[in-house]
Amino acid sequence: MNSSAPSSINRTAVLGLGLWVALLVLLSHWMGRQAHHWLPVPASNAAPLVDGLFSFETAIGTFVFGAVLTVLVWVLLFNRAEKYDESDAVPIEGNTRLEVIWTAIPFVLVMAIAVYTMRVNHRLGVLGPMEHIHAHSPLEMQGGYPADRLPAEQIEVIARQWSWEFRYPGRKISSTELHLPVDQPVTFRLNSDDVLHGFYIPAFRLKQDVIPGRAIDFNLTPTREGRYRLRDSQFSGTWFAANQADVVVESQEAYAAWLKQAAEQPLQNGLSVAVQEYAERQQKRNPGWATVPPAPPPQVNVPGSPNLPHDA
Amino acid sequence: MSSSLPAATNESASTHAHVNHNLTGFIIFLCSESVIFLAFFSGYAILKTSALDWLPPGVEGLEWRTPLVNTAVLISSSGTIMLAEHFKVRERLWLFRGFWLLTMLMGGYFLVGQAVEWHGLAFGFDSGTFGGTFYLLTGFHGLHVATGILLMTIMLIKSFIPGNYVGGEQGVQATSLFWHFVDVIWIILFLLIYVWQ
Amino acid sequence: MTIATFPPEPPPPASWTRYLGFSTDAKVIGIQYIVTAFFFFLIGGLLAMVIRGELITPAADLVDRSVYNGIYTMHGTIMLFLFIFPVLNGLNNLLTPTMIGAPDMAFPRLNTAAFWLVPVFGLLLIGSFFVPGGPATAGWWSYPPVSIQNPLGHLINGESMWILAVALSGVSSIMGAVNFVTTILRMRAPGMTLFRMPVFCWTALAAQSLQLIGLPALTGGAVMLLMDLSFGTSFYRPEGGGDPVLYQHFFWFYSHPAVYVIILPVFGIFSELFPVYSRKPLFGYVYVSVASFIIVGLGLVVWVHHMFPSGVAQWMRDLFMATTMLIAVPTGVKVFAWLGTLWGGKLRLTTPMLFCIGGLVNFVFAGITGVMLATVPIDIHVSNTYFVVGHFHYVIYGAAVMGIFAAIYHWFPKFTGRMPYEGLGKLHCLLTFVGANLNFLPMHPLGLMGMPRRVSSYDPEFAFWNVIASLGAFLLGVSVIPFLLNMISSWIRGPRATYNPWNAIGLEWLLPSPPPEDNFGEEVPTVISRPYGYGTGEPLVENQSEIEKRLQLQEVLA
Repeated sequence: MNSSAPSSINRTAVLGLGLWVALLVLLSHWMGRQAHHWLPVPASNAAPLVDGLFSFETAIGTFVFGAVLTVLVWVLLFNRAEKYDESDAVPIEGNTRLEVIWTAIPFVLVMAIAVYTMRVNHRLGVLGPMEHIHAHSPLEMQGGYPADRLPAEQIEVIARQWSWEFRYPGRKISSTELHLPVDQPVTFRLNSDDVLHGFYIPAFRLKQDVIPGRAIDFNLTPTREGRYRLRDSQFSGTWFAANQADVVVESQEAYAAWLKQAAEQPLQNGLSVAVQEYAERQQKRNPGWATVPPAPPPQVNVPGSPNLPHDA
Repeated sequence: MSSSLPAATNESASTHAHVNHNLTGFIIFLCSESVIFLAFFSGYAILKTSALDWLPPGVEGLEWRTPLVNTAVLISSSGTIMLAEHFKVRERLWLFRGFWLLTMLMGGYFLVGQAVEWHGLAFGFDSGTFGGTFYLLTGFHGLHVATGILLMTIMLIKSFIPGNYVGGEQGVQATSLFWHFVDVIWIILFLLIYVWQ
Repeated sequence: MTIATFPPEPPPPASWTRYLGFSTDAKVIGIQYIVTAFFFFLIGGLLAMVIRGELITPAADLVDRSVYNGIYTMHGTIMLFLFIFPVLNGLNNLLTPTMIGAPDMAFPRLNTAAFWLVPVFGLLLIGSFFVPGGPATAGWWSYPPVSIQNPLGHLINGESMWILAVALSGVSSIMGAVNFVTTILRMRAPGMTLFRMPVFCWTALAAQSLQLIGLPALTGGAVMLLMDLSFGTSFYRPEGGGDPVLYQHFFWFYSHPAVYVIILPVFGIFSELFPVYSRKPLFGYVYVSVASFIIVGLGLVVWVHHMFPSGVAQWMRDLFMATTMLIAVPTGVKVFAWLGTLWGGKLRLTTPMLFCIGGLVNFVFAGITGVMLATVPIDIHVSNTYFVVGHFHYVIYGAAVMGIFAAIYHWFPKFTGRMPYEGLGKLHCLLTFVGANLNFLPMHPLGLMGMPRRVSSYDPEFAFWNVIASLGAFLLGVSVIPFLLNMISSWIRGPRATYNPWNAIGLEWLLPSPPPEDNFGEEVPTVISRPYGYGTGEPLVENQSEIEKRLQLQEVLA
């Protein structure tokens, strides 16, 4: 028996395995880069952090999936029983060292991801303190929303079935189209008049449930000018899917101009697809199952545009 | 060919192993049942600690003296039921039945006391979260007390069947366990609702 | 024990009408559960076809939005409570007593009662489609306040019927859980210690323990929901001082462990089938068994990961992210064990094996997206979007349902006495695997792009992936056809099965196909070795060769 044959087989196997692993690593790295294309254009200071994390996990996931698939394809190709072979294979019942390895490595890996993510979490720090408020609080009884007494950089958001109202403090204007100055931190105070809603702007990578009976402070900084979608993300009833609004991020000057122009507009019906569709629905003989009627459209200075294209 | 349908009563003839698993099953069930009380307890605690106005308008608090007496009666009934079991093991059936009936009466006293308390309260089921949780907790517990009394009634009637307790007494053991369970739940309830005010 | 008395003579063929009655035989009840479950699977699947029909175009143009909301709500509710939990209980009924050598379950009449509750609450749920106002429309989560709005103000409405149905489902499940746990703990064959018990029984024990611990919390939360809906209380109503998020805690405290109730038996199925069709022992049997209970423990402390954007404190997000990620570890142990079982084996690519392999591939993919969902910043972006819908359908359809199909094909011969047709089975597998991937993979980019879930309409940029997903869904609808044809025709006129057509090792394979009413009866064999002894040459039980000779003799004489 040639004594060098076993070691040359081993060497080929190791080399082959190493090459395959290297290929998987390259593929994983490539997939990690591709992951960015699956996400909307990043438009807030949170987006790069979220996208980076996602890209990293895509890369790791690709490697793991690739490795598992490799094993499966290998056994499907090379470990099939012969056609009429009913006999058993070599009975390997376990390997304690392997068990330890494949418990320890995933443990370390997921804990590392968890710790790294906690750091990202704290950097994001979007959620401000949550306050409980009464639905009919003395503040509101005195007239006007608490927004009038909030610091200047807060925007009050009122979610309803089914519309979004944005009230700008200090300027006493309101709109159903959210305008924000680029690169300026902004704090939203999220309120709901009725049921749970979800304040979700995919381009910003941020969402927060809006809870009736609570006012929730929510911080973010938009970083890219453009028009984006705000979508209700927590099921809120019949016209949940239509409960969307546009978010316009613009330069400081454009923002200031918009505010000024808004203050000159009279109050009018804000955008609410639900109100429109409900009216049409009432005309039908057999409209469907029971529904809560939509809240009347909020009275705002600037309704905004219902059909301009959005970037994300 | 054997085709016996295994019995699920407190008779001893069951599976081929001739062992009745009723008590095991019942204990497992009780552990599961305790979780629903735990859910209600934690709901109570969370709503109470996060509430801005916990008590409904006009309500200053709960009167605790009469409920304390009721509590004492209920806890003592755990003692009487243990005595009853003690006598049954010694096959002193009339003493067993006596203490068993006493336990049922004490349970009945507790329930009546609960109803009287409910009748005299100034708030209802829909008086905010306090009203809701109060009646839910005491009502659900009361339902269990009533169930316990019902089970005890069945066991009492069965005790008059001659030879019923020779061999398998799992029904009595299970009912007694249930009664202790109801008692422990009440102690926690009492502390949560009447003491922590 | 004498050879003349054991195994028992095969009984005369029983009437099929016993499946319509109140039998207390776990094997009959098991079939009842499975057939009933597939009946509701078809209804739930039909609802899915309507959903995907609506979503093939951006506008809400197929059905009214209120109808769509009712349909997606009932799709989820029916698939979970009327299909997957009953079908798994059906498998539990068939397999648990036979695998441990018991004649039946510990409480046969409780078993019957538990099953018959299923058609009752099933009728209640289907009936809710026909009451004024229609069925529940708030999603299978039924979050307040939207679920308690009750637009028509009637006492009996779709939502209250939904809550009652779910409560009854809980009662049925708890009855079953008490039964399974008692049976597994108390009625194992002599010599079958816990570490000689098949992994399917380990996972059944683990899953049923989760039911016992978690269901009462859901029941409690649901009772309070019903009180708010029907009796004017304010547990969750903010105007009365209540807290909507409290409901979410109660709901998810059960509903997260519920997903382990679903997947653990499937882990058990994979652990049983990979050894048979690789002719190798299960790699690391003890680790796989213990991992089941580590999953139980961890599974009880991860529920807040469904609530990351809800308004829970940052420390809660960090804590539950860590616990959720930890679950990947015992799950990974199982996945690697299956790979270790396959490695170096002699694979036979039968229908059950193909379903298991396909299920494993889908499961690993779902596990990866699961870790992504556990990562809070990523979850903040993709929670309540189609990314989540894609993830859980990969687990439930791609892995669990495929595992369930594998189990059905594998144990069909044992419990019906007939062999299923391989060709139809393989076709079913192919259509399922392709259909599931086509249907659910596109949901991931949709979610990443920001398409919320539960929407009856969407912005036009989401159209492309939605069309593909809908085509995949229709393919899945078609895939059911070969399955139904196979089941029905094989049972009626398939070739007769021997007592061990797959040459598998297990107590159930030492019974005739189908087994007599009381399985081994009084003469239970004594177990003398660990399960999955393929290739070791060790018998599983004492006098195994005599038992097998007797079974062969019975078949020859029949």
